[in-house]
Amino acid sequence: MLEFILAKYNYWIYILIMMIGLYAMLAKNNLIKKIIGMGIFQTAIIIFYVSAGAKRGGTIPIIEHAHGAEGNAVDVLHYINPLPHVLMLTAIVVSVGTLGVALALALRIYGRYNSLEEDEILDRIDQDETATETTGALPTTMIQS
Amino acid sequence: MIWQIDLLILTLIVICGFCTIVVKDLLGAAVIFGAYSFLMCLLWTEMGAVDVAFTEASVGAGVSTVLFFAAVHRTTRHVKMKPSGRLMGKTIGLAAAGLMGCVLLYATTDFPSWADPNSPASTHVSPRYITGTIPDTSVPNMVTSVLADYRGFDTMFETAVILTAGLAVLIILGQTGNRSPLPISRLPQGPITQGYDDTIIRFITRIMTPFLQLFALYVIAHGHHSPGGGFQGGVILGATFILMSISYDLRMVTNRFNERTNLLLANTGLLIYSGIGALCLILGANFLDYSALAKILPGTTTITARSEAMLGVEIGVALAVMAIVILIYNNLVSNGTYENGL
Amino acid sequence: MINPEQYPILIVIVPFLSAFFLSITGCFKRSLCRPIALLALFGAAAAAVGSLHRVITTGIIHYRLGGWPPPFGIEYVIDHLNGLVLVVITLVALLAAIFSGKSVERELPGKEPLFYALFLLLVVGLLGMTITGDAFNLYVLLEISSLTAYALIAIGQDRAIHASFNYLIIGTIGASFYLLGVGHLYIMTGSLNMADLASILPQLYGSKAILTAFLLILIGVWTKMAFFPLHTWLPNSYTYAPTATSCLVAPLMTKVAVYIMIRMMFSVFTPAYVFHHLAMAPVVIWMAIAAIVGGSLLALSQRDFKKMLTYLIVAEVGYMVGGIWLANRLGITGAILHIVNDAFMTLCLFLAAGTIIHRTGGHHFDNLKGLFHQMPLTMTAFTIGALSMIGVPPTAGFFSKWYLILGSIQAGRYEFVAALLFSSLVNAVLFFRLLEISYFEKPPHQENTAHGPVSMVAEAPLTMLVPLLVSAITLIVLGIYSGELVTKIIQFAVPAGI
Repeated sequence: MLEFILAKYNYWIYILIMMIGLYAMLAKNNLIKKIIGMGIFQTAIIIFYVSAGAKRGGTIPIIEHAHGAEGNAVDVLHYINPLPHVLMLTAIVVSVGTLGVALALALRIYGRYNSLEEDEILDRIDQDETATETTGALPTTMIQS
Repeated sequence: MIWQIDLLILTLIVICGFCTIVVKDLLGAAVIFGAYSFLMCLLWTEMGAVDVAFTEASVGAGVSTVLFFAAVHRTTRHVKMKPSGRLMGKTIGLAAAGLMGCVLLYATTDFPSWADPNSPASTHVSPRYITGTIPDTSVPNMVTSVLADYRGFDTMFETAVILTAGLAVLIILGQTGNRSPLPISRLPQGPITQGYDDTIIRFITRIMTPFLQLFALYVIAHGHHSPGGGFQGGVILGATFILMSISYDLRMVTNRFNERTNLLLANTGLLIYSGIGALCLILGANFLDYSALAKILPGTTTITARSEAMLGVEIGVALAVMAIVILIYNNLVSNGTYENGL
Repeated sequence: MINPEQYPILIVIVPFLSAFFLSITGCFKRSLCRPIALLALFGAAAAAVGSLHRVITTGIIHYRLGGWPPPFGIEYVIDHLNGLVLVVITLVALLAAIFSGKSVERELPGKEPLFYALFLLLVVGLLGMTITGDAFNLYVLLEISSLTAYALIAIGQDRAIHASFNYLIIGTIGASFYLLGVGHLYIMTGSLNMADLASILPQLYGSKAILTAFLLILIGVWTKMAFFPLHTWLPNSYTYAPTATSCLVAPLMTKVAVYIMIRMMFSVFTPAYVFHHLAMAPVVIWMAIAAIVGGSLLALSQRDFKKMLTYLIVAEVGYMVGGIWLANRLGITGAILHIVNDAFMTLCLFLAAGTIIHRTGGHHFDNLKGLFHQMPLTMTAFTIGALSMIGVPPTAGFFSKWYLILGSIQAGRYEFVAALLFSSLVNAVLFFRLLEISYFEKPPHQENTAHGPVSMVAEAPLTMLVPLLVSAITLIVLGIYSGELVTKIIQFAVPAGI
């Protein structure tokens, strides 16, 4: 039993974290909360990849005594799989990029609608739209002869 | 790999993750999210992914948290309580999360067990990197050699993602306020007055900054032999400027790094990276095939040329990342106006 | 001269390097930005055409980045399918860039350097996704194209920021699902190279993890292509985006996502797995029918022609997805032909819409009143685009629809035939209503405050008119030569054994 749990629990927990993140992204009303959910969602995937790269009995993926014992063959079992680490460096960098853009958008939304709550923003958008429809005017500033 | 520690950290991560989304104060949520990132960082170290841990520490726990602070500072820290309503959204969220959880759980039954040395991931492609890194590239840190050489093309675009994010933030926030057309090169000058006038903090910052920057340079240069490299070093460099901007004033940083300088540095960084690749092309090899550089780099063989070229691209990455981190922070904290910071 | 072997990398690298060069130049001299962007796109287009020519004459091209052999390094693979898509992307982007000059000047004054740098990076993202033979490399480029798209949409008017935020959240979920799907493939096979994956997967067809990987990738890509009911982010984003953005994004983003779906289904999971091992095809075809009918009905309820066009995109995605899942030669041929045709149709209609918005200032039906007399060339091009959307011969739209209908009859899917015919009917109603408004109704009397009554709305400036007319003529040319296109290129793109 313990064997079975040990073999899989990492994957179970990443699923749990991912569910928390997805729930926050879809269900939270506050935009910053959605963005935090996005961060959680993305880190869950990183857990998944790094877990996939783990190797029992392996050490960190840096060759020991690299220049001292160049004749010695490197034992594959001795080092952890480096590929998922590289992929996840990319994923972390991508997630901070997305975070920056998301926060910038949130700032603009706050500047315009003076709220970070999704439903209030939607209300204000509706108000704006009905306002332009009742006046019925074309934005004449755009017209050029 | 000690599973007890692993389990403990994972449990703490779940608790932190849960707290961030339920807590009603955004600043609090940002702090807990920072703690969450640090726990992640521990988890990666525990699983032996030191480079990922380093990046998570500098990017996830460091810069992301500061960016959250900046955004919350510019908006509001209160989350409105909703007694009812949004039932629809909650149902969709729960249903989607539940469905996804079930599907993913279903998939785990076929996974090779965790940390199994005989899993396909450990036996198919990766052994080549482990055994090949020294003979192919003479770089002991295989994460660096895979990052900058075997899969160097990914990394080039990864750097481009950061630059894209910087440009995106600039074009999005550039519309707020009455700003002169982009990019701004002259900013309001004047004495530094705003911010917390705390002598101790300012003194320590002033003393620490050169050492932090030296450390960042070490991280960039020593990435071949130890965890670290262009991303981590670049983020630390950028973070020192953010530190100055917080402890002194935003203007102190923008006087040194204005928008135009940042854009120039970031684009130059990427031009260094893609330029090295294009140089290989001109020398008759495929794009990013560094071994061709042995023809022009004195005293190198086709193998050590790879190592040296990697240092070159790491410097490009570091320049770009540093400039963009500063750029994004400056814009977020001042809402695109560069007038006053945190 | 440049060695033709290096063409594949040039397609991506020329616009990529130019983006940074442009961004630096923009700091000093803003007026140089657009010429650099045009030059870069022209270079990319030339390299793409050169590559397609090589594929037709000598066969599939493999290009090793960094000189590393495939499963260890990243590989570019150009075959008939993506060679064609690359040419379409570069040509559409070039036309959109030529068009964008005036509208960027008007709508985004002072932001040209940033706009064109992001524009080029978006094109790089789309090209890179199409050309790559590595599943993870595709993810990185997917993120580049998405981040640029969020930014370029957010700078539009009205609801654009909010629409862009929603797009960001949903788009990130989609991209993350794709990444997770690739992770599942990796954990089961240890490889990221598409060809390598395809050679390992047959032993694992029964695996639950592989099934999950397929579902995750499919859902991720469906989110990106706005496949009904995951389309909710698209209409608002594309409607409120600046004209220049929507002319680039609307024709290309969904089409590239469809391409990725085809690539994943046929080159990674193989048709044997997708069509024979899984019994999903009927479900997906019903979803495609829902997309076609839903998109058409929603389009019918709009009073804003730009928004109406965005709902038509949702319907068109249904055509292509349905065509692929018909799982026979005719259906897949039709779907691939429709990728090409739809890219140019959407381009033509959005360019026409952009021109009208540029001249009249709005995208409501009322803005169209009397335009046929004031902007005859623009409206002629719009009519050609509309006829192609409806599927009137000899425009391109007819031929792909014809293949799709033949394919669905062969597969015995009469419900799909019905959906296609229904959508054509709705398109006819929609566009004839627009043409009626623009031909018969009197233009509104616009009182201008300062300078007396406003003169007639003039024909569009030349930089807008030329790409618009080129795209309209392309639709007819594509229609006339569609037989050639199928026999020379597309029939080789359909996987063997179908």
